[in-house]
Amino acid sequence: MSALVDAFGQHFFRLALVEAVLVGVVAGVVGVHVLLRRLPFFVVAMSHATFPGVVVGSLLGVSLFAGGAAVGVAVALVIVALGALRQVDDSSAVGIVLAGSFAVGVVVLSAQPGASKDLSAFLVGSIVTVSPADLVTTAVVGAALVAVVAAFHKELVLGAFDPGGLGALGYPVRRLDTLVLVVVTVALVVCVPAVGTLLAVALLTVPALAARRWTDRVGPMTVLAGVFGAASGVAGLCLSAVFDIAAGGSIALTATALFLVSAAATGGGRRGGRA
Amino acid sequence: MSRALAEVLLLGVVGAVVGVHVALRRLAFVTEAVQHTVFPGIAVAYAAGWPLLPGAAAAAALTVALLVGLTSGRRRVDVDSALALSIASFFAVGVVVVSRRSGYASDLGTLLFGRILDVGRAEVVETAVIGGLCLLVLGLAHKELVLLALDRTQAAALGLPVVALDALLYAVTAATVVVAVRAIGTVLVVAFIVTPAATGRLLTRSIGGAMAAAAGVAAVLGWIGLSASYEASVHHDVRLAAGATVVVAYTAGFALAGAGRLVLGRLRTGRRPA
Repeated sequence: MSALVDAFGQHFFRLALVEAVLVGVVAGVVGVHVLLRRLPFFVVAMSHATFPGVVVGSLLGVSLFAGGAAVGVAVALVIVALGALRQVDDSSAVGIVLAGSFAVGVVVLSAQPGASKDLSAFLVGSIVTVSPADLVTTAVVGAALVAVVAAFHKELVLGAFDPGGLGALGYPVRRLDTLVLVVVTVALVVCVPAVGTLLAVALLTVPALAARRWTDRVGPMTVLAGVFGAASGVAGLCLSAVFDIAAGGSIALTATALFLVSAAATGGGRRGGRA
Repeated sequence: MSRALAEVLLLGVVGAVVGVHVALRRLAFVTEAVQHTVFPGIAVAYAAGWPLLPGAAAAAALTVALLVGLTSGRRRVDVDSALALSIASFFAVGVVVVSRRSGYASDLGTLLFGRILDVGRAEVVETAVIGGLCLLVLGLAHKELVLLALDRTQAAALGLPVVALDALLYAVTAATVVVAVRAIGTVLVVAFIVTPAATGRLLTRSIGGAMAAAAGVAAVLGWIGLSASYEASVHHDVRLAAGATVVVAYTAGFALAGAGRLVLGRLRTGRRPA
């Protein structure tokens, strides 16, 4: 415990805690829409596919957010375009694009000296090195994402359950679908500094999964997912300080533990079992 | 270098054949999940100084068991969510285990991206044996697996052991991932299984033909990718990660085949495909 007390005395640790709360809330809230639309594989794909953007952004000295988001949007368009090929099913298209894009990132990075250390920071995050400027970016982008999700709540939920009905009511279905993909991609990029590209999928799915054990109503589920996300971030960060383990890993494991407790407390696979 | 080439060719051919089945069943996400969930097995074996293969195999077996358990039976869980959950938790365990060691960053890099240029003779032999077994199993159960993929209801009506066949395919896929992980690392293996198979399916319609085409494409592009990486490193002093370069070659091959397909389709119909 004294390790934890020491850690709280450190400026960088307090910054990391704020980042963990911000990222946890944003990822939890957006994660509900990931589940409603069954996008976990898309999130995994994006977490890999945005990698070259992060690499190039870091090499050129521009923002990692900008690089990751730009490549993410491009990759999403390629996946949509591959839908035109009848012989390639959606899941293969996603798999090809994610691995190909990730490989480009690795090749570019491997050509740089001292690559392997940077690489690990991208992959599993380095939340303790987060700067005040990063915090501001996360807060602003995160607030914008939450505002978008809240503003279009009704349309997005209807679109997830009944896209036909949404279209019949005169809403622009495809534009709303694209909006969801963009929101998810940006949320993912925001998570990268905290938990890295590979474990961002944990924050974007697991807190929402845990929240769905407790309620079927989307509004309360969203609030609960945000709370679970923030709790995973804080508890995971404290555990990583106490046991001296990687923060990204311990945050993901805390989220998983929250899910297991939720599943046990709400009784097996009753609720949301077929969702 | 010749051992690395042998390993790439072996993995390419086995991955291509397994990949056609994976594509038929749309199991790309399962493959992706297994490549991440074997990571803690490898990490634990690595940290304890044990051989990597049994560790990876144990983790893969656990994943497959979980998957069959969760997705069969009456109280089914949404497969994508189950996979996301297992990726998040398994991979996190791996990261935590590795992060306890010193020299964390370079260890992690090795485990994530593999060391194809360092494979030994014994590892190539292991790959050949396990890969050969996978191909043999797929060959023996070919008819049943294809029927199951195309018409699950009829397969069940004919009395085929549906769950057992599912488990068999998961197991073969997992075994392929496990042998490939050492050489390619835990992030890029999915490309060895998904990409050449999709290219093969673009080139021909029959399932057997797609397997042959995919294997051929994987072998040729694997050789090109590995040579390019070697050439760049030795003669031009630009280090290109070998495994990743092979995957880039696979992806370029797929892009070419896809573009060719679109152009052909447009020429044939004389207008934009709907």
